[in-house]
Amino acid sequence: MRTIPHALRLSGTEAYNHTADKRFLMIGERANVAGSPKFAKLVREGDLEAAVEIARQQVHNGANVIDICFDDGLIDGKAMMTCFLQLLQGEPDVAKVPVMVDSSKWEILEAGLKCLQGKGIVNSISLKEGEETFKRQARHIMRYGAAVVVMAFDENGQAAGYEDKIRICRRAYDMLVGEVGFNPDDIIFDPNILTVATGIEEHNNYAIDFINATRWIKENLPGAKVSGGVSNISFSFRGNNIVREAMHSAFLYHAGKAGMDMGIVNAGMLEVYDEIPAELLEHVEDVLLNRRADATERLLDLAERFKGQGGKKTEEDLTWRDDPVEKRLEHALLKGIDKFIEEDTAEALEKHGKPLRVIEGPLMDGMGVVGDLFGAGKMFLPQVVKSARVMKKAVAWLEPYMEAEKAANPQQRSAGRFLIATVKGDVHDIGKNIVGVVLACNGFEVTDMGVMVPCDRILDKAQEINADVIGLSGLITPSLDEMVHVAKEMERRGFRIPLLIGGATTSAAHTAIKIAEHYSGPVVHVLDASRSVPVTTSLLSDGQRDGFVAGNLEKQRKLREDFVGGPKKETLSLADARAAGPRPEWDVYTPPAPCFTGIRDAGDGDVGQGGERVTITLRGLVEYIDWTPFFHAWELRGVWDRERKLLKTKDPAGAAEAATLHREALEWIERIIREQRFEARGVFGFFPANADGDDIIVWNDESRVTERCRLHTLRQQIRKQSGKPNLALSDWVAPSHPPGTASGAPPVADWIGGFVVGIHGADEFAGELEQANDPYGSIMVKAIADRFAEAFAEWLHHRARIDWGYETEGELTQDQLIHESYRGIRPAPGYPAQPDHTEKPILFDLLDAADRTGVTLTESCAMHPGAAVCGLYFSHPESHYFAISELQKDQVEDYAKRKGMSLTEAEKWLGPWLGYPV
Amino acid sequence: MPQPDPTDELVDVLARRILVLDGAMGTTIRSYGLSEADARGSRFADCAKDLLNNGDILSLTRPDVIADIHRRFFEAGSDICETNTFSATSIAQSEFFVDDPREHGGRKDPAFFDRIITDPFLNELAWEMNVESAKLCRREADAVTSTTGRKRYVAGAIGPLTVSLTNSPDADDPGFRVVTFDQVLEAYKHQARALIEGGCDILMIETIFDSLNAKAAAVAVLDVFDELSLKLPVILSAAVGRGGETMISAQKIEAFWNAFAHVKPLAIGLNCSLGPDLMRPHLEELSACAATHVSCYPNAGLPNPLAPTGFDLEPRHMHEFMAEFADAGLVNLAGGCCGNTPEHIEAIARAVADKKPREVPRAEGA
Repeated sequence: MRTIPHALRLSGTEAYNHTADKRFLMIGERANVAGSPKFAKLVREGDLEAAVEIARQQVHNGANVIDICFDDGLIDGKAMMTCFLQLLQGEPDVAKVPVMVDSSKWEILEAGLKCLQGKGIVNSISLKEGEETFKRQARHIMRYGAAVVVMAFDENGQAAGYEDKIRICRRAYDMLVGEVGFNPDDIIFDPNILTVATGIEEHNNYAIDFINATRWIKENLPGAKVSGGVSNISFSFRGNNIVREAMHSAFLYHAGKAGMDMGIVNAGMLEVYDEIPAELLEHVEDVLLNRRADATERLLDLAERFKGQGGKKTEEDLTWRDDPVEKRLEHALLKGIDKFIEEDTAEALEKHGKPLRVIEGPLMDGMGVVGDLFGAGKMFLPQVVKSARVMKKAVAWLEPYMEAEKAANPQQRSAGRFLIATVKGDVHDIGKNIVGVVLACNGFEVTDMGVMVPCDRILDKAQEINADVIGLSGLITPSLDEMVHVAKEMERRGFRIPLLIGGATTSAAHTAIKIAEHYSGPVVHVLDASRSVPVTTSLLSDGQRDGFVAGNLEKQRKLREDFVGGPKKETLSLADARAAGPRPEWDVYTPPAPCFTGIRDAGDGDVGQGGERVTITLRGLVEYIDWTPFFHAWELRGVWDRERKLLKTKDPAGAAEAATLHREALEWIERIIREQRFEARGVFGFFPANADGDDIIVWNDESRVTERCRLHTLRQQIRKQSGKPNLALSDWVAPSHPPGTASGAPPVADWIGGFVVGIHGADEFAGELEQANDPYGSIMVKAIADRFAEAFAEWLHHRARIDWGYETEGELTQDQLIHESYRGIRPAPGYPAQPDHTEKPILFDLLDAADRTGVTLTESCAMHPGAAVCGLYFSHPESHYFAISELQKDQVEDYAKRKGMSLTEAEKWLGPWLGYPV
Repeated sequence: MPQPDPTDELVDVLARRILVLDGAMGTTIRSYGLSEADARGSRFADCAKDLLNNGDILSLTRPDVIADIHRRFFEAGSDICETNTFSATSIAQSEFFVDDPREHGGRKDPAFFDRIITDPFLNELAWEMNVESAKLCRREADAVTSTTGRKRYVAGAIGPLTVSLTNSPDADDPGFRVVTFDQVLEAYKHQARALIEGGCDILMIETIFDSLNAKAAAVAVLDVFDELSLKLPVILSAAVGRGGETMISAQKIEAFWNAFAHVKPLAIGLNCSLGPDLMRPHLEELSACAATHVSCYPNAGLPNPLAPTGFDLEPRHMHEFMAEFADAGLVNLAGGCCGNTPEHIEAIARAVADKKPREVPRAEGA
């Protein structure tokens, strides 16, 4: 029979089980008005946000449970308990831990219980008011599902000595377990930690009494736990933190050995027992263990030496807090510190009078410094995004004041209204988000419409908010057409405002040649986020606009000329290109056979639709991550050195920033794994296949008679001077009857593989962070998801090559794997070797990918979620990546026919690769 | 009439086999192609808002349909069917019968819900819905019990409400709650009393999105037991997302068990939100930590507007999943949520018929 071990089992949104193997349950004491004057002050002044921060700090410092107490004459404890616990519920990193509702008033404890979705602890009840009240309260606590702290207190008062302590605890225990039916595991006794070294002789044995009572409770009251308020013990040494910390640690050490399970203790105010200086420890233990009559005097003498010293807490450098408010804002923006931003903003508002003056004055000045340093390469994008977070918080704080002013003065405008969106059919948004953040922190009012936004909605919104600039972003090639469409629509609807184009597939040339001609307003290609600010500023500045627009038009005119008049590459007809294709020696080569055909699921969970599957954890994928593109996403150029963990770049400061970014990324990865934010789902498979010209036939089975589907490939048509062959992907799959084989011979057996992998959860997590005004985290999470998707694809390819039987496990080093020094390729539709995205639906059908991986295709054949990779597997030893360009009309016509598309449709999908004007 | 406490006989049966729950009420109702007029009947013909989505009202206006659904589930092999009372509280019914202040620039807040929970019309309606729904289900249960000789049970369904005690609807005011714990408690107590009056054998707090709402429901049920000096078995069932957290209050599986162990439920489980495949890891987690019976009634896969039931999985799929869950020793009670028709339940019943139930772990030393 399976059993579940005894434990105090608690929860917030996460479970905390205090099982026998756990040493000491840490209760954070700082969110307690009695324990923390700072917390009390914040609550009295109504600054609950800062009060919540204190609770959060406790959790970060390792508290397993947080104690919440509002027993203070100036606070309405009942209302505040409700209000504060409701606020905490909205803070995921605090809400995860169980709450200890702490009050001496029953009505406050009752109010607290009504706010706990998890299992908390009520602190405390006692026999002070007699048995009936005690039992009634215990029953109520049990009904609400909380554990309880019972003070060693009865009708006659507090138990100070050992005998009283154990007598009262025994009586309470019997009543709770025997009469009320309380779970003994949920009973926690507090046998009163009382102050020692007071100079009063009766107090000298208080620590010993507590320790002995603890031992007795643990031996005689099964299941019961022991707790106590630790800082009481050292109350005589107020102001002498070194001595107090030593006393706390030594006391916990001895009480812990006796079985004390938990204590209310400031996790940040504890010396490590082994690090207490020997002399001090001896004196402290003399007092605690009541080892000699003069122990108190001796410790007092020794304590003189440590008086006024800060204790172990190394305070962060806060000297900048003494600067004038403008300087402080600048410092906060530069360093990305949001801790004081609201109070500083408030002070600045008081000083400058109007919210806009604060924004345009000190805040923009600070961001100006950030911008200058960024422009000069002395700050890096991750730091800028952190600055933006601070800016965002400051502006958010000013928002209500601005609203009020706007209402009074509706004409007022911001630096400019920037509307930004990822176009219809495309889901990629990391770059777009970075641009949005950078613009917002330069004073532009940014409206971010998100991803997959249809043209009409973009333009309707632009009219509605009276946008000054529209920015379009896209990563996949079909998005280019959508941008052209938006430009045409802007013209048709009479827009004149500037249109900015950005994103990985966009280029200055494409913008000049394909987009600009459709719209009479300025159309500007923006290379990266750092360029977005000067471009937008110029476009919206009365003084610079005309000059900038003229310069842009001139640049675009040149690009068009170069395109039309530039030296054309010499091309071949399709027939000649085919004739110039490679001739693998099929007669002497036997393609390897995969160990299975059909499909298998892959992923980090055991989801899937039955059948065999391969599993990999996110943690396992980390070593497959290629970091270089991650740094590119953050606009840090260079090559990541895996061995030395540094970014090889000419700029040493950039390398340092990359190291920081890498470290933070690893921390984010830890969090993502810990909180199970991402889910990796993939599918892969192998299928009997043979080439048929430039097509690849996928057969229904090994008899190779009936076609399941066809994959279509494109052939290079540039005339090659080097004599190298004109490639198509189909060249690396054996034809069923290669030239020279006897007629009637059985078909040559070859196979093709395919895969789709996706990382789910990034959008949701990023959205959550966005809500919490954390654009840095949001971008980070998406960039990491992209890396995981690539790592997943790389890992799965590794696995697939082994399953295909031509590579063995461990044959290649991690470095060789990352540098793709292996046989076989995994080209993806939409990329240079086969730029047609419409091959994706065929692949997805073949793999049943949408169902098995949750990755779906948009109307532009972009994968959703964006952190996804798909492709084909080729095993041929000569297979390698190449690029298609300059497609000629004869091939596109042939291709359209093979695919059952119209020529126009094929031309639309292949637009950027066409070598002839349409 | 209140029923005798069936805990002992249920525990006895559960030791021998996996009990079968019913399938979806909501999506099965949809298959009857009812119209707005059906939902209103003559009684609610003048109601200002549409009632077709108020499935619970059908217990009053089309009791024939609801009874037919219960009968079909029982005949398909359900040991326990849930009453058609998912939203039969004054708070949930207010969505259909009370003007929404948000449509006039106002807001829902505790003052608004003070009026709702004391509104005589809503309270009488909620009472009648619960009593009548329980009686309907009782009649079908008793009929099938007598024809088959196998005892069938009625579980009074207590749903999650449309308001949350853990979340603020106003992002700028995270400490705000539209409703108070005591209001929710009051509404649930009213429902619990009526379900008991209507003759339920079990009370089932289910589709728990928000654990604090559920906590109020649990307190309500236990308070009402005390009030009426009786006791019935309680089943708790949470609706968790892919990450295994309650959909609104984000509570993880084991945290959920820890928070409700004190109720000493007959069973604790998962339902709705996910299909069996995605539910499995979370069910496994619950099964490992829960020192009581574990129930499971997932959706029939994910929503698929093209499928006849609106969901992906067919009876044979549910059969396969549930058989595997049973083989893995994960469940004591099995059924289906959204998208599970009587045919699905028949397949599930077959899947678990001869399987060993999950062994309930005992608390050490207890």
